[in-house]
Amino acid sequence: MIALLPWLVAVWLFGIGLYGIVTSRNFVHLIGCLSVVQASTYVLLLAVGYRGGAGAPIFYTHPPGTPAVDPVVQALVLTDIVIGAAVTALLLALALQLHKRRGTLDPDELRPLHR
Amino acid sequence: MTLLIAMLLLLTALAGTGVVLSRTPRRQVMAMGINGLILSLLFMALQAPDVALSELAVGTAALPLLFVVVLASMRMDRTPRQDEDA
Amino acid sequence: MTRTARLLLFALSCLVLAPATLALAWHMPAFGAHPLPYGEAINAVATAERHVTNMVSAVNFDYRGIDTLGEESMLLCAVTGVSVLLRGARGESTRARPGRVHGQPLRPRSTAMTLIGRVAAPVVLLFGVYVALHAMSTPGGGFQGGVIIASGLLLAFLGDGYRTWRRIVPSHLMDAIEGGGALLFALSGLLGLLTGAAFLANVLPFGEPGSVTSGGLMIPINLGVAGAVAGGFAVLFGEFLEETRVELSDRPAGGDT
Repeated sequence: MIALLPWLVAVWLFGIGLYGIVTSRNFVHLIGCLSVVQASTYVLLLAVGYRGGAGAPIFYTHPPGTPAVDPVVQALVLTDIVIGAAVTALLLALALQLHKRRGTLDPDELRPLHR
Repeated sequence: MTLLIAMLLLLTALAGTGVVLSRTPRRQVMAMGINGLILSLLFMALQAPDVALSELAVGTAALPLLFVVVLASMRMDRTPRQDEDA
Repeated sequence: MTRTARLLLFALSCLVLAPATLALAWHMPAFGAHPLPYGEAINAVATAERHVTNMVSAVNFDYRGIDTLGEESMLLCAVTGVSVLLRGARGESTRARPGRVHGQPLRPRSTAMTLIGRVAAPVVLLFGVYVALHAMSTPGGGFQGGVIIASGLLLAFLGDGYRTWRRIVPSHLMDAIEGGGALLFALSGLLGLLTGAAFLANVLPFGEPGSVTSGGLMIPINLGVAGAVAGGFAVLFGEFLEETRVELSDRPAGGDT
């Protein structure tokens, strides 16, 4: 079961985040759901890079050559977390401007094609 | 070790579900903070201290803070104030 | 599209995609036994090749350096986008008074808050600098250190209020640090071209493994990332907190003081 669990958790996080985005009635809530979808990619990547019984890929106290997990996926996730936060801030700025201009945050009340 | 990772993975799934299902944005901010904390614990257990540190700083502190500030700014009523002043 | 139709479409696509996804999860290699050719290669050679002990930093700032340069530009674009979106609607004036939520009084800050802010800010700043500088040897680096530095600067806001915070952390300075960090990263890449090597080639002496000065070209790159992230997040905090203020300049002086 543990052999499958990380992939299932990643799929679940992606699915539930997408469900939140589809049913959201508030753009701020929607951006929060997007961060859950992002978290699914972190879980997937780090689970792929994990090696049973291995240590962190830092050879400060251990000599090089001790079993270690994959540093490449960790580097991917590390940059993604920081950049993802900046992009989330951009989305929040858009939501804030929307709230100022239209006074609503509900995606259903914005129907540009019907106006 | 494996058991710890399994527990943390299940907690991550629960916390993510909590973030989605807390529909009020103010509650969702708290859920996001908890989610970030659990994610950073999971990353620690997955032998990724760099990523855990990054998630701790961003997911538990910086991002919820931005959400709180945005919510505060949205609650500030601008229109009634202008009526008051006019 | 109505809400029901959207939910139905979502359920339908879930039904279609679920078997494929579950089959994929079933056929993934078992957790903890995934083949890791690139990671193992880097773990085997990086300490000998680059004299660094933190493999994640080696990947970020050296082996995948050009990728990180792309990520830096994304950060720069996102922060610029936020500034343009928020400043464009608000103007650049920082002479503003705190906005109020309708029906709630403005409470003065407690002295305990000021004390905690003033005591914690230097400690957090120092920790951020420490984390940022020790990228090549121990967990940490420009990305994490930058965010911690920006949060430490924000403690001045918690402790001493908005005006003091803006005076200590002027937005022009933060803009400059953010752009300067990204510029330092790009210029470090050009250093390799001057010596006839490739872009972002590590041409500086590598130093002693495990020390702060190890890593050669990774040191300026790491500093550039730390500056870009710290400045970028400080700008983000500043822009968003500016949104909780009410502009004085664009309206005639009202009855409020």
